[in-house]
Amino acid sequence: MPSVDLRSFPFSAVLDMDDAKRAMECMLVNPNLRTVMIRGGQGSAKTVLARSVGLISGKKIINVPVNVSEEQLFGGMDIDATIKQGKAVMQPGLLSRADGNIVYVDDVNLMDQRILMTLLNCVLDGRVVLEREGVSAEYSVDTMLIATMNPNDSDVSSHVLDRFDLCAYSTFPEEEDKRAEILRRNAEFQKDPESFTRLYKDEEDALLNNIERAKKLLPLVTMSDDLMGVSVELAVKVFADGYRGDIAMINTAKALAALNGRDEVMKKDVEEAAMLCLAHRRNYAQEPPPQPPEPPEPDEDDQDEDPPDEDDQDDQQDQDPPEDQEPPEDQDQEDQQESPPDMDFQQLLDDMVFEIGEQFRVVDYLNDGVRKVSKTSAKKGRRMMVESSDSSGRYARSRIPDDKTHDIAFDATIRAAAPYQKGREHTSLTINIQKQDVREKVREMRAGCTILFLVDASGSLGVRKRMTAVKGAVLSMLRDSYVKRDRIGMMAFRRDSAELVLPPTRSVEYSYRKLEEMPTGGKTPLADALVTVNDYMTSYSRSHVGEMCYIVIITDGRANVPLSEGANPNDEVLKLAEDMAIPQVKWIVIDASSGFIRFDNAERLAQALEATYFRLEDLNADRLAESVRAVIQ
Amino acid sequence: MEKLLFPFVSIVGQEDMKRALMLNMVDPGIGGALIKGEKGTAKSTTVRSLAKVLPYRNTVEGCVFNCDPSRPDRLCPYCAEKLARGEQLKSAMVQMRVVELPLSATEDRVAGTLDIEHVLKTGEKKFEPGVLAQANGNLLYVDEVNLLDDHIVDLLLDSAAMGVNYIEREGVSFSHPSRFILVGTMNPEEGELRPQLLDRFGLSVDVKGDKDMEMRMEVVRRRVAFDADPTKYTQECQADTDAMRERITKARELLPKVATDDSIIKAIVTITTSFGIDGHRADITMMKAAKANAALDGRTDVNKDDIRAVAALVLSHRMRRRPFEEAAFDYEELERCLQSI
Repeated sequence: MPSVDLRSFPFSAVLDMDDAKRAMECMLVNPNLRTVMIRGGQGSAKTVLARSVGLISGKKIINVPVNVSEEQLFGGMDIDATIKQGKAVMQPGLLSRADGNIVYVDDVNLMDQRILMTLLNCVLDGRVVLEREGVSAEYSVDTMLIATMNPNDSDVSSHVLDRFDLCAYSTFPEEEDKRAEILRRNAEFQKDPESFTRLYKDEEDALLNNIERAKKLLPLVTMSDDLMGVSVELAVKVFADGYRGDIAMINTAKALAALNGRDEVMKKDVEEAAMLCLAHRRNYAQEPPPQPPEPPEPDEDDQDEDPPDEDDQDDQQDQDPPEDQEPPEDQDQEDQQESPPDMDFQQLLDDMVFEIGEQFRVVDYLNDGVRKVSKTSAKKGRRMMVESSDSSGRYARSRIPDDKTHDIAFDATIRAAAPYQKGREHTSLTINIQKQDVREKVREMRAGCTILFLVDASGSLGVRKRMTAVKGAVLSMLRDSYVKRDRIGMMAFRRDSAELVLPPTRSVEYSYRKLEEMPTGGKTPLADALVTVNDYMTSYSRSHVGEMCYIVIITDGRANVPLSEGANPNDEVLKLAEDMAIPQVKWIVIDASSGFIRFDNAERLAQALEATYFRLEDLNADRLAESVRAVIQ
Repeated sequence: MEKLLFPFVSIVGQEDMKRALMLNMVDPGIGGALIKGEKGTAKSTTVRSLAKVLPYRNTVEGCVFNCDPSRPDRLCPYCAEKLARGEQLKSAMVQMRVVELPLSATEDRVAGTLDIEHVLKTGEKKFEPGVLAQANGNLLYVDEVNLLDDHIVDLLLDSAAMGVNYIEREGVSFSHPSRFILVGTMNPEEGELRPQLLDRFGLSVDVKGDKDMEMRMEVVRRRVAFDADPTKYTQECQADTDAMRERITKARELLPKVATDDSIIKAIVTITTSFGIDGHRADITMMKAAKANAALDGRTDVNKDDIRAVAALVLSHRMRRRPFEEAAFDYEELERCLQSI
């Protein structure tokens, strides 16, 4: 295969991205750190930086495409050799070339989860075990992995994320002069890569030397028990699962000390290490984030997790605590670090928890809430991919067919036949394939689903609360990394028609803006809404074959705008509901009625639609999202 | 070069997980162990580290299926044929191994394939053994067992149930013994296990990371020390490792002598009834596990403490549970049952 000229942009010519650079340097220094992830939006130079590591490490970058097959990556059968020798011969995979080098995966979130997991395990264990297609082998591979991804797209599971020792967030610089500088450097590089690279040669060499020196220094680096204790405590404080975070943090802190030419880990090393090792392992679903000084949660109910809210909090904190709290403590720290008693340890810890908490908040802010890792229990994953019964979907692997098959996996079939070619009679064909060789394709497709919220935005009582709950629920469902594979849409009805506010989407940002703009008030044209949603979803489900759709109606069910003049609007609605039959669609009715006199309109609507029925009354956004999720699973 | 693994004896805490694995080494008839737990809690590390403490066992020298010469009813076709011809089966002592089943395994490599060419050319059956053959008499480890392909799971289930791997393809059939200790690890966040497979595991353990600071510090400290110099660290643990293997070997020898009386049988039945467990597998497994536990302690009589030690391991994955309900093992109920006898 012709190789593309991958002359890379110099590492040191990449502006900013200090965290990501640090993470990679640490990995190069400490052999116990093997995996780095860089998260960030498009155009934040993730890929450029990842590729540039080659120059400062003297290693080759082995690019693994996201659609790589298991055979290509881990190894499989060498068909040529197998046919000639009459026995299964192994062809080494991409990973075998990675020995002593660096593996790079771009858009790692789009990679098949099982392959990704196996890849990560291979890199972390330093060996590949192969039991495939007649080939049984085990080889060791000493390599590192750099992965980049854009979390706005979809996210990897927290399980996968935990396997990344280090994780850095990259952001696109807003400042004009920085943007200009980036553009300038980029243009120069494009024009004449050779001389541009020469320009940075000294810096690159210095980095390379520093890394080499740090590697030698690393075995001598010591870390005090106090600082080790702090690392462990921090990991507990952010509710990181398991021990990987603790261990990575200590390894990173040591690498940082070595990079700075010291043989002892200092407090700032631990701080920096915490940013790189714990940010992606935080698990706040269990309890609120560590916020030592104050803020009592604002009594929610109405405001849920709207980012502006967070903004406010941030502002307040920026003003309050730093002035009167931090500087004195900081000085104390320097003096007391040597003395052992518990008090100091506690102080040191509190101090650091606070500082790091602050920094995390900044990360969250920059990345729009990055990832409030929720502990979704069970069932995850399974629903995402389903075996496809027809010949649509991605060719995931092959198997021996039960009976006849129409979907032959040629590659696997040839591989199965290969070892026997020597003994088989040869006809005019080069390869003699017999019945037992035939393999069929197993295809998989994403089994995401679509959830359309149909919201009553009329001016009835409690519309505000209802809208807040719905907006919160829509956002929370979109944010949830796993539901991100689903599409969420929203239709609202008011005055005399229904309007598609948000076509089914996976984008959080887009939907957030749309939801903000939504007007409320007016009458309740429920019948019209049903007709509109029926038309829309019928054609939608036709174009999204195999995708389960859910329509969540949130209303008090009291229609007051009839379709045909003079008709009873409520009877009309029930009649329509009974006749409703959209393929692959299930209904959920959430009763928003409240107040002294309770009407059973919504309940009757639910019956007519054969829908699952809930009451909104005491559901806030999270509970709403949860309930909907429970129905779907 | 063999890659050194973190020593089993140096793993901090996680007593339940260690116990479940050790009980299985004492009596492979218990039916393996499923280890569930949050990420990064040394699940895989622990299972892999067993390699050094696994006991030695009798096997037919040179047999690819690891036949046990002392069990003529469980021989592979080759050994059976030899025996039928009146030949002696030469036996050898080898250490049990941890055989790993990679997630990407394909079924021909798991079950093995028949070398048809060899049959045609020589008239002799030649079988290309797969993972299930290697696993015979050993420990079969599946990491991320919940992500394993369904058709591979089926193969495992068949062998685990029968102790024999049957290959039926294109009119040629072959079978060989395949008895193994099935150990699976998984993170439930990634998806649940199929109920059929779940029931197949004799014991199950829920692993959690320790939130106790001292313990956690120790975990981290040991890991860091190991990473710094694996060879030295392993050597330092050598005596403990040998002692552990010795303890397991002794327990295996002792196991046939371990006896139970009626009170123990009654206690077991009371517990399984009170926990509402269907079927007899739980009862039988609990009996075996309790005996193995006694043997590990060097005793030949089973007592209530043995039951206390194994009950949760046997029952926690067999309790009926409603959807969305986290199953927590009710230790108080267990204590009530034990007191009532």
